[in-house]
Order: sequence, then structure tokens, then C-alpha cells
Amino acid sequence: MSKQREPLVRVVKRDRIHPLLKVAFYLLAILFALTVGGVLLFAIGVNPLVLYKDMFTIGMLGSRFAYKSVEGLLTIFVPLLITSLALSLSFKMRFWNIGGEGQFIIGALAAATVALKFGNSMPPFPLLVLMFLASMLCAGLYGGVVALLNVRFRTNETLLTLMLNYIALYLLRFFGETQAPWNFYLSDESVRPVFQKFPEAAFMPTISIGKFSLNISFIFAVLICVGAYFYLKKTKQGYEISVVGDSANTARYAGMHVPKIIVRTMFLSAALIGLAGGFYVSGAKVLSTSVTNNVGWTGIIVAWLAKLNTFAIFGVALLISIMQYGAQAASTQFPIIDSNFADLLQGIILFFVLAADFFIRFKLVFRKNAKKQGGAAE
Amino acid sequence: MKKVLSIVLALVMVVLCFAACGKTDDAKTDDAAASDFLVGAIYINSQNDTAGYTFAHHNGITKAMEQLGLPKENLKIVDNVPEDTEQVSKAIDTLANQGCKIIFGISFGYIDAFAEAADKPEYADIIFSHATGYKSNDKNFNNYFGRIYQARYLAGIAAGLKSLELNNNSIGYVAAWGTEYAETCSGINAFALGVQSVNPDAVVHVNKISTWGDEAKEKAAAEALINTYNCCVIAQHCDSAQPQLAAANGKVFGCGYNSDMTAQAPSAHLTAPIWNWDVYYKLAIETAMTDPANFMSKVGIYYGGLKEGFVDISPLSDNCTPETKAIIEKVKAMMVNGEWDVFTNVKLSIDKDGTITKTEGALKDNKGAEVISADGSTYYTYNKDTGALEAVEGGKDACDGVIKGSMNYYVAGVTEG
Repeated sequence: MSKQREPLVRVVKRDRIHPLLKVAFYLLAILFALTVGGVLLFAIGVNPLVLYKDMFTIGMLGSRFAYKSVEGLLTIFVPLLITSLALSLSFKMRFWNIGGEGQFIIGALAAATVALKFGNSMPPFPLLVLMFLASMLCAGLYGGVVALLNVRFRTNETLLTLMLNYIALYLLRFFGETQAPWNFYLSDESVRPVFQKFPEAAFMPTISIGKFSLNISFIFAVLICVGAYFYLKKTKQGYEISVVGDSANTARYAGMHVPKIIVRTMFLSAALIGLAGGFYVSGAKVLSTSVTNNVGWTGIIVAWLAKLNTFAIFGVALLISIMQYGAQAASTQFPIIDSNFADLLQGIILFFVLAADFFIRFKLVFRKNAKKQGGAAE
Repeated sequence: MKKVLSIVLALVMVVLCFAACGKTDDAKTDDAAASDFLVGAIYINSQNDTAGYTFAHHNGITKAMEQLGLPKENLKIVDNVPEDTEQVSKAIDTLANQGCKIIFGISFGYIDAFAEAADKPEYADIIFSHATGYKSNDKNFNNYFGRIYQARYLAGIAAGLKSLELNNNSIGYVAAWGTEYAETCSGINAFALGVQSVNPDAVVHVNKISTWGDEAKEKAAAEALINTYNCCVIAQHCDSAQPQLAAANGKVFGCGYNSDMTAQAPSAHLTAPIWNWDVYYKLAIETAMTDPANFMSKVGIYYGGLKEGFVDISPLSDNCTPETKAIIEKVKAMMVNGEWDVFTNVKLSIDKDGTITKTEGALKDNKGAEVISADGSTYYTYNKDTGALEAVEGGKDACDGVIKGSMNYYVAGVTEG
């Protein structure tokens, strides 16, 4: 007889896990999430197979305009990808930038200001370069100032970036709703306030491949993705970010100038998000008060689902974009489903992936005499 | 290996589950192809709303499709679409992908996305129809709205008669916006003119909430009107029934908007100006089905009123006297047969026994300036930048344009605040 009763289940940290098994866990988590979503759909009388088919083919099957679906998908994917990558830079440093929304808006506003002020007097190429530089600089400063306050006065970056989101949003709304002679953001034609369309020189160029036109911001997004990988893995600055993330004290002992690294990385993170905003408005050809499409928030989910891994971010951002765009296509078939379903499914997936994380890091050990059932359940 | 086995088993279970779901439902999707004409709609709020603007349009479209014998599966909807050109364009692409032949957009800010889509050659065989907008083309893009001001005039008569009955000349109006938008401005003016046709001494106090919908503000604005100005009737141009509930609480009366609010405030409600969106949707969908090539000549830029049945007032509640009903029917008939309209140089004076007297004369705003000339040939509005009163080009024909787009004054007898 043992002195102390052994608990039925114990949580034990795993020593190591086979990489394939790790991937299998994540795939299984997504499958479980889809199954739970499927059960919910089935319960309200929607055939989950048909809905998922429409969703993951983004409504391209049997359509006259399948190429437009891909174009539409990319307009969601590109800003989400760049924003998630940018957020992962600061998250790697354990600096909680949740101001993606605000930085995106500031980037979009800066690009729009340049486009509307100089659009009629400048040729396209320098105009676009100027727009995107303005996006990066303004958004970079908007984020960088938080890092500066943090290293100088130890202010809380989470609170500050969060509150700056609302300042940016209401600034944009102010420009969008205030009709006045000085307000060049608004169209003169309309009686109600409507944002002014950009002059043609400010449109993002596209490459035509047959009927399909590829927005070149996609190419830039892929380049940024590859660049971020090399920056984080192969450069000194990338190494500094991970050291600061692991322990600021270690970084200090190693002789790194931690405040400089924090401010520099945050500036870069915010500047990239601003660039995403600039790309977006240049592609949309006009501002709007819902310009972000929540990428600042969704980007956080993407970055964490991808475990801050650069290439995993590409995959997860694509999956989430397909779900968002596909949910719209699928919801037209089923009146009871609206676009919120994509958000719901996203939440369920996040939940299951977090659960999978747990099982990757830990295993459940069952009491000896209960081990037989335990092994099968795992 | 047990782990791998369990994962495989789990996968098999998932697949089986999907397969099982698939079979049961297949039959349902097949018999949807009774008629293959597909209608698309883009909504600002949820299609599952139970009240409000999106609900009114959704109701109108489904009712029209039912009348035309189209199964409700043929309505494809993208909802919760914000006024963002890129997102609206995506919604349009989605609906075009589904094969929709006519696409409705119900919110004003969809205007540019609709204009752009209609001009794309690949969408030449799709009709685009945009509510409350002002853009169009001559092949496949129109806009639609209605003469709700006519219904507001009738509601104004009901309110004016109530104020005579109560011997209180103070009437309140909770407005989303004031002179900033012609839509709200013309509504307030038409209501005030209706009130004055029976009670020339009445004053309409406008309380502006500066948003299209906010229940708390709507309620507070109505309460302020009752408490500050002792208003005996509360009219409204905002989404919810809160002003009517406030009127009921304050033991006064009210005119709702959009739907018959007698259900919400039975002790207070008189009548509400309402939209019958199905009247337009039926015409538009039917034309798109039978003769899409001539859509612009047959439907065109649509501005229906009482005559078409597109706007109306809800049935008068028991809070109104039978005489009120008789008078309103008479005035309504005059607008239906085209004998008279609200924004002209002819003023109606109606006495208690229902005799209607027409008087010709200039319409004056609340600063005393003429906004419609005495002969009815010239319309004036204030220049947005200089603030000066300017004649609108086009003489009498400018009337609808002023009501829809540029009216920016209050008529005499209206005060804001």
C-alpha cells in the first residue's frame, strides 16, 4: 500500500516531441474545430459539407468570374500578412504592440494625404514611393513614440497602443464626416460626406495575367515575408530582438543597448503596418472609415497561431483570409449564416490550437491501474 | 504507436461524421433550382435583424420575390458590409460569382463601388440598383428613393390636429440630423408644413442627435423636448421607437417612423410615415427578369411617392379622431392624383370641419427669406461655402433635386434646439 494516493491523471512535461507529431496535432486541432463548427451548422439545418466546400473554394466553383475571387482574396490576404509579420517582430521581443489598428489607419491616412495633395502634379512612380514612405514614417512614429515612452518612463505599451488605436480611428472618422472647405479628404460632388477618390497616379499598379490582374502589393508582401525571415534569423538586429525577448537582463549583460533595440524594433513593426495601410488604400483607390478590416486584431491571432514563425504566418494568414472571404461566398447560399460565422470558426480554431499546444508541451499520465484506458484516450 | 493510431482513428471519425452529414441534406439543395433568376443584395446590417433599416429592405425584397413567385433561395445576400469601397466591391464580386442578375445595395456609402462595378464590361449583363444614391448610367445602373416627405406632411396634419385638441402649440421632433442632410431637412419641413396647415400657430422644436441611430440619445432627446418645451407631440426621424416610448412615459403623443410604432407605444402613437420597399423591389426585379435591356427606360431613376404606394402612413391609431382620418384622406388624395404637392408655392389651410383652402404665395424659411418664389418658378438654397441664398438652376424642375439633395433651411415655424 502506498503512503499517498496517486492522482488519477497527472500533467507531465514532455521531453521532446517528434516534429511530424507536432504538425499532426495542429492539423488535428483544425479538423476538430471544423467538426465542432460542422456540428453547430448541422444543428441549425445547414449542410456543413456544402458550406465548407463553398468556403474553402472561396465560391470559385462554377463561377464566371473565378479570377475575381482570387483578386478579392488577395486584398484581404496582403494587409493581414504584412500586419501579422510586423506584429511578430515586436511580439518576439515580448513588447505587446496591440496598436495595429491605429498604425494601419495612420499609414492609410498618410498615403491618402500624399495621394490627394500631390496626385495631380506628380508622375505615378515617385508619387507611390512618396505615399508609402509617408505611410511608413507616420505609422512608425505613431508606434515608436510608445516605445520611447516605455523605455524612458516605463509606461505600459499595451495600454498606450490600445488607446492610440481609438485616437487614430476617431481622427479618421473626423475627416470622414466633417464637411468643410479645408477638408480635402472628402468629395465635392456628394451632398453627404464621402471620401474623395484618389487621382489615377496614386493607384497601385497591377499585372494582368489574362483576365486576372495581380496587385503588385502581393509581390511586395511575399518579399517582406522573406525579408522578415532573414532579418530575424540571419542578422545581428534579429538576434538582438530574440535576446531581449528572452531576457532583457541577459541582453544588458551582453552589452546590448536595450532601449535602442526596443525603439528601433517597434518603429519597424509600426512602419510595416503603416505600409500595409498604404498598400491597402492605394489598391482600394479611396479611404474609408472601416479601412482596417480588423487586421490589427486578426493579425494578433495570426501571429500567435503561427507561434511567431515567419513562414507559418504566411500559411495561417492565408487560411484566415480564405475563411473570411470564403465565408462571404458560402453565406450567400445559406440565409441563416452570415459573415460572423467566419469569426466564430476562427475563434474555435484558435481555441483548439491552444489546446493542441498544451498537448504538445505536456502529456497526461494516468494512474497505473487506469493506464489502459488512458493510453487510448490520448 | 498508440498515439499515431489514435490520431488516425480520430481522423476517420471526423471524415465519417462529415459524410453522414452530407447525405441527409443533399435532397434539400437540389429542388432549389425551380426558377434560376438570382437576386443579389448587399446589406449594412444583418439579414437576421428584426427591426430597423436593413430589416425593412430585406422584408421588401423577400415580399417582392414572393409576389413574383421566386423561391427565397434565389436571394443571395452579403450582409454586415461597411461603407468601404473595397469591401463593397468584394461583395459585388461574390454576388456576381453566384450568378445574380440584379444587385441591390441599400446604403448610401456603397455608391462608388456600385458605379465602378456597373461600368465594368464583364458585368454589363448585371443590373446595379442603389438606394438613396444619386449616381446612375444609361444601361444598367440606377438609384432609388422615395417621397417620404409626402407621408411626413400627412403625419404633420395628425400632429397639428392633436395640438389643437390639447391647446398646446409646441411640437417636438427628434432628428438624426438637421439642415446638414436634405433628407432630414425636407422631412422636418414637410412635417412642419403639415402641422401648420391645421394649426398655423404651432412651433416645431427640432432636437438633433447627430447620428443615424443611437437609442439612448433618441430617448434623451425626446425627454428633453417634453421637459424643456412642454411639447405635446413627439415626431422623429431616427431608427428606434425610443422617442415614442418617451412620449408614452411623458403622457404626450407621437409620430414614429419606418414602421407602425403603435405596437410599442399604444397610448401615445398617432401614425408613422412608412416605406413600402416591396413596391420598388417588385418593379425592379420584374423588369430585370423580363426586359433587362430596357431597365433604365422602364424603371430608371426611381423616386416613388404616395401615388405609387411606395411611401405611406401607418393606419391612424385610436388616439386620432375620425375627423383627422377624413382630413388626411382628402389631402392624401390630392397628392396621389397630382393636384397638389408639399414643396410648391401653394399652401394648404385646413379648418376643423375639413374644408381645404389653397393660398398662393412664397414659402419663407425661419429667417424670413424666400426659399420658393411666390409664382413657384424659382427654388433657393444656401450656398455651402458663402452662406448666401442662391437660386437653383432649372426653375420648377429643380424641385425634386432640392428635396433630395440640396435643401438646407428650415421653414418658418421651425426652431432647432
